Amino acid sequence: MRTKLQKFFTRLILSILGLCVIAVTLFLFLYVFWKGKKVFSLSFLLDKPAGVPLGTAGGIYPALMGSIYLGALSALIGGILGIGAAIYLVFYSTGKRFSGLVNMAITGLSGIPSILFGLVGYTLLIYRFGLSRSLLCSSLCVAAMIIPFVAIRAKKILDEKGREYMKTSLSLGLSREYALRKMILPACFVELLGTVALGMAYGMGAVAPILYTGAVMQADVPHSLSDPFMSLPYHLYILVNNGFSLDYAYGTAFVLMLFLLIIQLICKFITYLRKDN
Amino acid sequence: MFKKLSDKFSKGIIYLAAFLVTALMAVMLIHIVKESIPAFSQLGIKMVLPSTEWHPVSQKPQYGLLPAIAGTLYVSAIAVVLALIFGVACACFLDYYLPKKMASVFLAFIDLVAGIPSVIFGFIGLTVLVKTFATHLHMAAGQCILAAGIVLGIMLLPFVISTCHESLQTARKTYEFSAITLGFSREFTLLHFILPAIRPGIIAGAMMAFGRALGETMAVMMVIGNSPIYPKLLGRGQTLPALTALEMGSIEYGSLHLSVLYVANAVLLVILFIVLGISYLLKRRLATHEN
Repeated sequence: MRTKLQKFFTRLILSILGLCVIAVTLFLFLYVFWKGKKVFSLSFLLDKPAGVPLGTAGGIYPALMGSIYLGALSALIGGILGIGAAIYLVFYSTGKRFSGLVNMAITGLSGIPSILFGLVGYTLLIYRFGLSRSLLCSSLCVAAMIIPFVAIRAKKILDEKGREYMKTSLSLGLSREYALRKMILPACFVELLGTVALGMAYGMGAVAPILYTGAVMQADVPHSLSDPFMSLPYHLYILVNNGFSLDYAYGTAFVLMLFLLIIQLICKFITYLRKDN
Repeated sequence: MFKKLSDKFSKGIIYLAAFLVTALMAVMLIHIVKESIPAFSQLGIKMVLPSTEWHPVSQKPQYGLLPAIAGTLYVSAIAVVLALIFGVACACFLDYYLPKKMASVFLAFIDLVAGIPSVIFGFIGLTVLVKTFATHLHMAAGQCILAAGIVLGIMLLPFVISTCHESLQTARKTYEFSAITLGFSREFTLLHFILPAIRPGIIAGAMMAFGRALGETMAVMMVIGNSPIYPKLLGRGQTLPALTALEMGSIEYGSLHLSVLYVANAVLLVILFIVLGISYLLKRRLATHEN
């Protein structure tokens, strides 16, 4: 009897808690999509923000473009550095002191909260090095944040797929660099690109590192690296925090979420397809 | 000749990348330490005395970090406990009571939550949770430690569920067949064999989640109310990252206030490295146990 009761209650509690979690996750998506749908339109995407206070009318085009520029630039910097460090760790490290240091740096960076990249970027880049609040400055901060993200995943990919190639190439007398360029990087290209894209999505959603390093309330689509820019998550934060317009906040959240989800879904779909073959 | 050159070039880039990443970490640490020295030498232990409050801009400025430290730990602890209870139960539920196909769909779905930016969590928390608190609990504003803990707990769910799911599957492979043949029910097996077996893995995962929770800025900042007072469950509070994000923009460079903010982040880093270090050691012990 006791075991039967125990069985029943275990089943009941697990089901209730499990269903709760599923309901909450569904709610998160449905809530934003349902509320955001009402504001969403083509002109919302393609117009500049307008109204007084700013953001209560018009659209979010500069914020969308600013986010894309920021994402692309930081993915470029962070991707190259992250993948480079991962290649070093997998194929060049000789187990000496320096590779230990690189490993430690990546692990350490992955543990640092995003706000610290903003704080250090703000004081170091802007006050010490005299950079203006700009796209470049923000991109550097976000890039620093996504380096460990990319490096850890790239290391895993290269470890799994590249080692065999490297062994074979080296025993055929090819140089490490030649093997990397002609065999390993092409073979892992899609996975690495997917990793960088995921890192980009992660970086584009972050507000903390761009808070005081370059994102502003109103700006045009940036024309050069030294322009300040608007960004979707920052725009959302400003709208909500100052209580300007809740409707437009829903719309911005909707666009931001949709955009990042599409990137992630594409990446996951591609890796899923590659795994099957 | 050309091949050799491009070989050298590629090698150079790879070494440069490795060097730059290391330099980045070193620069960050050195900068944080260097910037926090003035506060240490001028205020010293006063910053963490329970009697010192946080009044950085008053006539007689006081820089007490203890309320924010307590707030950070409090919020993160609530989040981790909630995420553990719901996450472990959800992983078991998906593994045991749903068809395989459906479970994997839900798992992928929950995984997507990890990709939602924290500012959206903060936004939803503000418009749903805080609003509910304000109307149903008769609170003045609804912004409180509990709201921040719940929002943060939802953010941690995907990590807890995915680690738990993995260890559940390995543990089931080891124990379930023998347990079922001995006549134990699936629930008994789960409670008495499988959960104890995966406990160390879950604890390591929980420590990782705790580390993540400690550093979370935006979502917490939007729902916690940001008052530098000692945290109460249904009262406003402050966390170290939120404090930094709020105040760093309005401080002039070189002031004591900024230096104290650096100390706050140094404290945060020390707590983080202790937490992540414990989780690393646990994981290593686990790995040696398994082999």
